[in-house]
Amino acid sequence: MNTRPSLFSLTFSLPLLIWQLAFFLFPLAFLVALSFWTVRNFQMQPNFDTVNWVKIYSRSVFWDAYFRTLLLASFSAALISLAAFPASYAISFKLGENAKRWMIFVLIIPFFTSYLVRVYSLQVFLSDAGILNAFLGYLGLGPYSMLNNSFGTLTGYATLCLPLVILLQVFSLNFVNRDLVEAAHNMRCGRLRTVLEVIIPSAKAGLVIAGLFAFILSFGDFVSPLYLGGGNPPTLSIMITDITKSGQQWPRAAVVALTMIATLLTVAFAAIKFAYREAGK
Amino acid sequence: MLDTPIVHFDNVVKKFGSFTAVEKADFQIARGEFLAIMGSSGCGKTTTLRMLAGLEDPTEGNILLDGEKINGKPTWERDTPMVWQSLALFPFLTVQENVEFSLKMRKVPKGQRRERARKWLDRLGILEFADRNISQLSGGQRQRVALARSLVTEPKILLLDEPLSALDAHLKVRMQSVLSGLQKDLGITFVYVTHSMSEAFSMADRVVIMSRGKIEQIGTPEEIYREPRNRFVADFLGSSNVFDGSLKSSGNEVWQIETEHSSFTLKAPSEVQKTDGSPVAFAVSSENMSLAAIGTPWAGNSIEATVVGGEFAGASATVFLETDQGQELKVQKGHDELKTVDIRAGQKLLVHWLPEHCHVLPGE
Ligand SMILES: Nc1ncnc2c1ncn2[C@@H]1O[C@H](COP(=O)(O)OP(=O)(O)O)[C@@H](O)[C@H]1O
Ligand SMILES: [Mg+2]
Repeated sequence: MNTRPSLFSLTFSLPLLIWQLAFFLFPLAFLVALSFWTVRNFQMQPNFDTVNWVKIYSRSVFWDAYFRTLLLASFSAALISLAAFPASYAISFKLGENAKRWMIFVLIIPFFTSYLVRVYSLQVFLSDAGILNAFLGYLGLGPYSMLNNSFGTLTGYATLCLPLVILLQVFSLNFVNRDLVEAAHNMRCGRLRTVLEVIIPSAKAGLVIAGLFAFILSFGDFVSPLYLGGGNPPTLSIMITDITKSGQQWPRAAVVALTMIATLLTVAFAAIKFAYREAGK
Repeated sequence: MLDTPIVHFDNVVKKFGSFTAVEKADFQIARGEFLAIMGSSGCGKTTTLRMLAGLEDPTEGNILLDGEKINGKPTWERDTPMVWQSLALFPFLTVQENVEFSLKMRKVPKGQRRERARKWLDRLGILEFADRNISQLSGGQRQRVALARSLVTEPKILLLDEPLSALDAHLKVRMQSVLSGLQKDLGITFVYVTHSMSEAFSMADRVVIMSRGKIEQIGTPEEIYREPRNRFVADFLGSSNVFDGSLKSSGNEVWQIETEHSSFTLKAPSEVQKTDGSPVAFAVSSENMSLAAIGTPWAGNSIEATVVGGEFAGASATVFLETDQGQELKVQKGHDELKTVDIRAGQKLLVHWLPEHCHVLPGE
C-alpha cells in the first residue's frame, strides 16, 4: 500500500495537525523545559537542573500516589467495562432498531450536565446520613461509609465514564457480523459461550478502546478523588495542585504531569497494540 | 431406519409478519442425496435452508430429521452444519482454530482435535495455511476452510447457502468438482442452495425449483429439462418456447391443439389426462426447432415468424423471432445448419418442429 500522504488528504488534516502542534506538542515541550527550571524566593528561574526530577522521584509519597492512581484507574477501567458489557450487549443484540436509537440518546443525556454538578449531587446520596444510607437503614443495614474513600472515588469515576463506555461498546458490538454468531450457534456453541468465544473476540478492538477511555479519564480525574474520595491520600492530579500551592513549585508539578503523560502514552500504546493483534501468522 | 428419508419437509410454511416467505413446502430428501434448491433471489431458498438448520422456526408444518421432529429444537442441538454465503469464518482465529471450533464445542480432547482438523485441512489441500489468519487467504482457500470447518465433525448432512457465489467463473467450476467429489466420497447428504442453474444442474442428483416461496418442480436435472412441469419452469430454463391453446381432439396417438396461430399436432402424453376443449399449454425446446425458407414443404408443425435478432456464442447460435401474433420464439442451432437460411433481422422464416418434440406442461 502507498502510504505517502496525498495533497488532498493533507489539506484536510492540516488544521488538525496545527491544532495538535499548538495545543499539545508546544505545551508539552514547554512542560519538559519547565521541569528543569528552579524556584528561588517563590520565583521561577529558567535553568537546566535535574533537581526536580530527583526530588520527586526519591519521595515515597509520590510513588504511593502514583501506584494508587494507577490501581484506581485500572480498577475503574475493568469494573466499568464489566458493568457496562451486559447493558451494551442487551442494547446491541436484543433491542429493535428504534429502541436502540432511544437508548443511545438516553446515554448521551448525562453529558448535558456538568460532571462537577453530578459529583456534588452524588455526595447527597453517599454521605453517612445520605439517601443511600437512610434507605439501607430502613432495611436494617448499615450505615456504610461510602464517601471519602476509594468506593466514593470509583463511584465518581463510574458517573464520569459509564455512559461513554456503554456507547463505545454498543458501537463496536453493532459491527459484530451476525453471521458469525449464527455460525457459532450452528456449531454447537450455546448462547453464553458464544458471547465469550465469538462476540467478545469480534468486538475486541472496540471493547479495549472503551476500557482505555475509562482508564484515561479516571487516571487524570481530579474531581471524584477530591470530592468523593476525600483527597487524602492524594491521587496524582490532587498531588499536582498540592505541589503548586506550596511555594510556586510549578517545575515539580511539571515532573508529576510528565510522568502521568508518559504513563498514559505507554498504556494507550499497549492497549491499541493488544486491541488490533491478529490471530496467526 | 435406513430407508426413511433423512429430511422430510411436511407442509412447511414460513411467514414473516403477513409476508409468506415459504409456502407449503412438502418434499423429502433421501440419504446420501445431493439436492439443489434453485430459484431467483428472494424466492425463499435461504429461509428453507435456515429452517432445516434451526435458525428459523417454521410457522406451520413439521420438519423431520432422520424421522424425528425437530421443530423448536435450537440449532446448537441439531447436527445440521451449514456453510454460509458469507462463509462466516472467524477472523480472530487461525485457519486451524476455525476448523477445530466445532470439535472444541463437542469437548473433543486437544490432541485429537488438532489431528482431525489437520486431516481435513490436508484433504482439502490447505494444510500449509493452517497457522495463517483468514484475511491472508484467497477466496477459494477460504471456501475450503469453510468446508473443512463444517465437515470436520463428519455430519450426516451438510447445508450450503450459495457458497460459490463470490468466486470467479474458473474457480467456481473447480470448486464445483471439489464439492461433488467430496459428496460422492463421503456419501453424506448435501442440501445446496443456489440461484445458478448451471451449478444446480451440474452437481445435483435432484433439483427443487422455487419461485416466490412456492416449489414449482422437483426432479432430476434431466427430468426437469425434458419435462418442465409448468410455464414458470419452462421459462426459467430459458430454452423453451411455450404455446397456449385448447385441446381439439385427443386420440390415442396424437393430440390436436388449436392455438391463436394455427393448429398443432403433438404426440399424446401418457401421463396427462384432459378432456376435449380444455386449455393446454405445451413447450418446445429451442434446440428442437428448425428454420427454413418460406414455402419449403414441411410435414409436422410449422409457423411463420420474423427474425428479430441473433446471439452467437461458441458452437451454436440462438435466433430470436416473433410471430405475427406477437409471440416470441427462440431457435438454437449449430452454425452449419444456419448457413442454409437467411437470418438477417426482418427476414420472414418458417419455424418447424416434430410432434414428438412437444411437451405438454402438466401443471398448467
Ligand atoms: N428475517 C426476515 N424478516 C422479514 N423478511 C425476511 C426475513 N428473512 C427473509 N425475509 C424475506 O423473505 C424472502 C425470502 O428470503 P430468502 O429466503 O433470503 O431468499 P433467497 O435466499 O431465495 O434469496 C425475501 O423476500 C426476504 O425479504
Ligand atoms: Mg439467499
